[in-house]
Amino acid sequence: MKVLPTKCPACGNQLKVRKLLCRDCETEIEGVFDLPLLAELPTEDQDFILQFIKASGSLKEMAKLLKLSYPTVRNRLDEIIEHLSAEWQSPKNTEDLQQNNERENK
Amino acid sequence: MTQLANEKTGKEKRTLVQWLFNPFKFIAGYQALLIGLAAIILTSLLGSLSNTHFDGVLDVHTGLQSPLWIFLCEGLINWISLAVPLLLLGLIASRSSFRTIDIVGTQALARWPYLVTAIAMLPAANRKVLEYLISQYTQGQTVTSLAPTDIAIFAVAILLTILMLIWMVALMYRAYTVSCNIKGPKAIVTFIIGLIGAEVISKIAILALFRTL
Repeated sequence: MKVLPTKCPACGNQLKVRKLLCRDCETEIEGVFDLPLLAELPTEDQDFILQFIKASGSLKEMAKLLKLSYPTVRNRLDEIIEHLSAEWQSPKNTEDLQQNNERENK
Repeated sequence: MTQLANEKTGKEKRTLVQWLFNPFKFIAGYQALLIGLAAIILTSLLGSLSNTHFDGVLDVHTGLQSPLWIFLCEGLINWISLAVPLLLLGLIASRSSFRTIDIVGTQALARWPYLVTAIAMLPAANRKVLEYLISQYTQGQTVTSLAPTDIAIFAVAILLTILMLIWMVALMYRAYTVSCNIKGPKAIVTFIIGLIGAEVISKIAILALFRTL
């Protein structure tokens, strides 16, 4: 399966979704859409989050599964949280959040 | 293919370097505490056989004959003297939440290189060379039969002690950074403060211990 690229190979900036396709009726939707926040994470971080959910959010279970110590697993999760917090607080996301709020208020 | 599979699952390949310099990536908590305490007790027992005292967080001195419980207390004091200050510094400096058992356990395990030092100090040749050096310094009765092998064994023991000291400090630092999730200059500065504080605390506590004799 092809890996979804999230960063531009030329300049390294975040990529946007330009086109969406329904495989059943072949309807195409064009526009500029943001990738979901989790999809913007590196693949290994996405896998980590999936495993974390599978382990019912138990770090102890994750440590057993990955054969790593508890603090190592917790530190990895902290890194991902920090990464997500930075993305969430970035100007782009703040603007989007404001626009959504304005739309909802109208 | 295996590497790809490991990346996918998040499993890390365990290399010898990782085991030697950062075993805390794989072992922490109660497991580290049990292994560490076993190493501390064994180091104390072996130290008592050659009168080698670990009389400070980083100190190794040989010569004074003492009861076994003194050696055991020294080991435990050294461990607690560093674990408690690092725990407090971690609470101040770390932005993550961490478990007390991890810092206490990994700090116990980090002391294991001194087990090698205790073994290296066992040969009688070390005592002979030390007695010779003391007699030279105090101009007392000199030890006459000092074979070249005695000097060689003593030199190896000293070299090993220095190497084990460096290794132990490296492990203590790793244990602190992994357990408290602290990185960079903040980790280095707080660790140095903790180590100096621990050295002072352990020296005072062990001195008080000897006064009870």
